[in-house]
Amino acid sequence: MKNTIAYALFCLMIGVATLASANQSEITIKIQKGRFSPSQIEIPSDTKVRLVIQNLDDTPEEFESHDLNREVFIKANSSASFYIGPLSPGRYKFEGEFSPETAQGEVIVK
Amino acid sequence: MKIIFMPLFQWIVASIFLLTATSSYASEYLSGPADYIYSPRVEEGEREIDTKFGTQKPRSGEDSRQSGASIGFGYGVTSWWFTEIYGKNTWDGNNSQFDAIEWENKFQLTETGKYFADVGFLIELERPQNRNEGYEAKYGFLLQKDWNKWQANLNLLMQGHYTGTENQGTYFGYQGQVKYRLQPELQLGAQLFSWLGQLNNWNTNQQQQTSVGPAIFGKTKLGRKEALVYNVAYLWGTTTASPKNTIRMQVEYEF
Repeated sequence: MKNTIAYALFCLMIGVATLASANQSEITIKIQKGRFSPSQIEIPSDTKVRLVIQNLDDTPEEFESHDLNREVFIKANSSASFYIGPLSPGRYKFEGEFSPETAQGEVIVK
Repeated sequence: MKIIFMPLFQWIVASIFLLTATSSYASEYLSGPADYIYSPRVEEGEREIDTKFGTQKPRSGEDSRQSGASIGFGYGVTSWWFTEIYGKNTWDGNNSQFDAIEWENKFQLTETGKYFADVGFLIELERPQNRNEGYEAKYGFLLQKDWNKWQANLNLLMQGHYTGTENQGTYFGYQGQVKYRLQPELQLGAQLFSWLGQLNNWNTNQQQQTSVGPAIFGKTKLGRKEALVYNVAYLWGTTTASPKNTIRMQVEYEF
């Protein structure tokens, strides 16, 4: 019983720590004709940013970035969002997995 | 079409071979040799053929090595629900047998990257082939934290058998991993699997089952919408109740 209570308290503690939210600035990137627009975005270092990816094409796309550790599927004519950061200064590449020849971009962290 | 079909076909053939030739048995240990670390993240529309393989050397030299494998199909139904069904097989050196059917469901509870850590919840239901074991359920919270090129996971899990006559009780454990995301094809880290005992009666330190060791991870693209994702670990048992060592691997074909 004691362990059950300890487990419940631990989960609660994790939940509270997790819900401690950071800054909520937002940047929208559009996908049109297999390209990101804008394809370069700048964000300050050590800041959390919400990225909204709007797919205006009639085909789905997947935002993929090893640098950012993100893989997000975006349905045709739909949008998806996620957060990146806080990041160290540098360049973080991303691409559209379904049209990598044209859908290329990067996040520049200053 | 042929380019897509051939890797898929080869992968299925290789997986079936793996499943029938070298499968898993985990009756002695709560962490099966083919267990893996869950991630709370879910990707909508993702389809995968998921294969896992592992082999454990018991601490007692008289006991034969326990090996196991599974093959399953998973699908990201929504941006917050991933479901997978798979079959498990076991092999103890003499006998190979079909062990169980498992249905895994993962729910991503928080938007990716929004909070200090991403949180998910796992519910896994298993129907063992041995009907005396009733049904097995595994459930718990999944946590993931990124910082720059590092990623850490911590999962708090409970596992129990219900409605049967064997292996009754609910056990509490945790699993974790840390990895340095060097490059997509090769990432370095470590994994840990631990079961502390029954939920209301934890074992002594030496009776707990804990295995830890180095792991490598990676992802290789095969085509525009295809990739192979893998992770392999060598784990040492740190207590007398743990297997002496475990070699485990997971390979997913995403398409």
